[in-house]
Amino acid sequence: MRPRATATAAIAAFALIVAACAGGGTTGGDTDVGGGSIAISGSSTVEPISALVAEAFKSQNPDIGISVEGPGTGDGFAKFCNGETDISDASRPIKDAEIATCEANGIEFIELHIATDGLSILTSKQNDRISCLSKTDLYALTGPESIGMATWSDADELVSDVAATVDTAAFGPPHAPYPDAPLVITGPGEESGTYDTYVELVLEPIADARGQEAATRPDYTASANDNVIIEGIAGSDSSLGWVGYAFFLANEDKVEAIAVDAGNGCVEPTPDTIASFEYPLSRPLFIYVNAQRAAENPAVAAFVDYYLSDGGLQAVVDAGYVALDDYTEARTRWADRTTGSSDARP
Amino acid sequence: MTTADGHPASRPDADIVDALRGRGLGVGALVFEGALLVALLSALSILLVLLADVVSGALPTFRTRGIGFVLSGLSLSPDTAGVLTGIAGSVTIAAIVVALAFPVGVAAALYLEEYAEEGWGTTLVDTTVRNLAGVPSIVYGLLGLAVFVPLVDRIGLGGVSHGRNVIAAGITMAVLVLPIVIITSAEAIRAVPQTIREAGFGVGATRWEVIRHHVLPSALPGILTGTVLTLARALGETAPLLVIGVATGYFAPPANVGVLERLTGPYTALPVIVFSWSRQTRPEFLETLAPAAIVVLLGVLFTLNGAAVWLRNRHDRRW
Repeated sequence: MRPRATATAAIAAFALIVAACAGGGTTGGDTDVGGGSIAISGSSTVEPISALVAEAFKSQNPDIGISVEGPGTGDGFAKFCNGETDISDASRPIKDAEIATCEANGIEFIELHIATDGLSILTSKQNDRISCLSKTDLYALTGPESIGMATWSDADELVSDVAATVDTAAFGPPHAPYPDAPLVITGPGEESGTYDTYVELVLEPIADARGQEAATRPDYTASANDNVIIEGIAGSDSSLGWVGYAFFLANEDKVEAIAVDAGNGCVEPTPDTIASFEYPLSRPLFIYVNAQRAAENPAVAAFVDYYLSDGGLQAVVDAGYVALDDYTEARTRWADRTTGSSDARP
Repeated sequence: MTTADGHPASRPDADIVDALRGRGLGVGALVFEGALLVALLSALSILLVLLADVVSGALPTFRTRGIGFVLSGLSLSPDTAGVLTGIAGSVTIAAIVVALAFPVGVAAALYLEEYAEEGWGTTLVDTTVRNLAGVPSIVYGLLGLAVFVPLVDRIGLGGVSHGRNVIAAGITMAVLVLPIVIITSAEAIRAVPQTIREAGFGVGATRWEVIRHHVLPSALPGILTGTVLTLARALGETAPLLVIGVATGYFAPPANVGVLERLTGPYTALPVIVFSWSRQTRPEFLETLAPAAIVVLLGVLFTLNGAAVWLRNRHDRRW
């Protein structure tokens, strides 16, 4: 009988421990049901900024529940326009199709430009043969017509063809001939706003001019994890890839930024060139606030107030992005609760 | 190999004697033994390299943060980030798994072993359960997303997360480990000698009394061991949680909410914390904090496995 009694006691003790842990251990978890909660989703690029703001805001307002996630700009807008989130982070302006979804669900949004990012074109530290690429080069190396090219020099012919058919004053001159070295490309996948930005800023104008689909070549290593992209770029001597500026900044010892030429000479990504949009791959970062929630939920309004304060915006620099010189426009839009997309891209 | 008169030939005889004494091994035998040893050592060394890598990455975190790392919640700052939220989520999932998979699994195993008539029906069920145990966990994640998340939301436990909460996660994990609980429990029950049952019936006990007082207590150590091991599996799984909407970013609950609100809100688990830290911008997260979280997770798993071994050794019966 004794072993049975001990075994039963063991189960009981185990169940008790588990129950105790389950009850007491949730100190750090979960969110409340009522009005005092804020749900943020969207771009993984903007997520660090919003999360830093959320953490600071939470420490001042312990009664408010906050969750921040970063599945990607597109996924974020899908949730936002379905009313599942209060604020959507975005690394590109909202698309017309997404605006239509929001309208169909009766959701109005306030678009706030909170920071600037420089899409950084990277290669490995060992690569000293490439220091500057134009948009023309990038199209020939990573665009839809480069499928199957395994070495840089494979693109020599294509780039001269592209240079002959498009306006190199707008996209920069080719830097061919390229080295005869393996072309190993690592970048974000299609779900990412960083991918969309790359296509839009680099590939789309040239692809349109050449009658091609605006997309990257499909045969490159895509990852949703920016650190994996950095490892991929650092892991090959003649690599090529692109990430947001913050990930380049955090890994400057592992990877090298390639200057980008869009007809006005080679420009390195630095806080100054990105902020002034002199760097051709600068892009604005936004938060989109659900206007109705901002009016009804004091927690959301207080959170955005804090976001746009000097203390809140410190998170932009802390997260590795470039702050705007002047936040008057965003603050005015917020103060007036101006809804809709401004379309006025810097 | 035998001579005409039936006696063994002398050559093979000598070979056998030599082999038994360990002398005169052929080159082939030596190479084979060496290959086996190399296989063992390479498997072990891969494991050791992995452990050494993780532990050396984790050491700075434990040196500077100490127990504070285990006791702090999610944070974007490497100096204050901790795994407590993940431990809370993992333990809650484990509790739900124990509460659901254990009774259902043991009951199913008892029925299969003690009540069901042998036949094509039981063979079919047995084969299905074994196949289910081998189904990739991501498939259970999809099942959870399609069935349990809406179900939890429908029965009013959805909360602000619309069913993407720890309750749905616990149910999904319980279903994930259920086949393994059934298999290990059935094996433990089958290992109870038939003579014990016959002795019970011999003194006039009913089937229920025999099971209640003899079969189940005798099989309990084996059942417990199997259950604890399946718990370890449930704690280590990441893929199904990612599918059913575990929070991969920062979240914090309001200060004063009830248990129900906490259970129905966003949650995370230890392996998910490792996953999300590996995506952070700040290099400290990938280089020192994620390894430290792995060490905590391994610590929890080793403790559970240790408990399984202890239970088996303490209660094992030999007949």
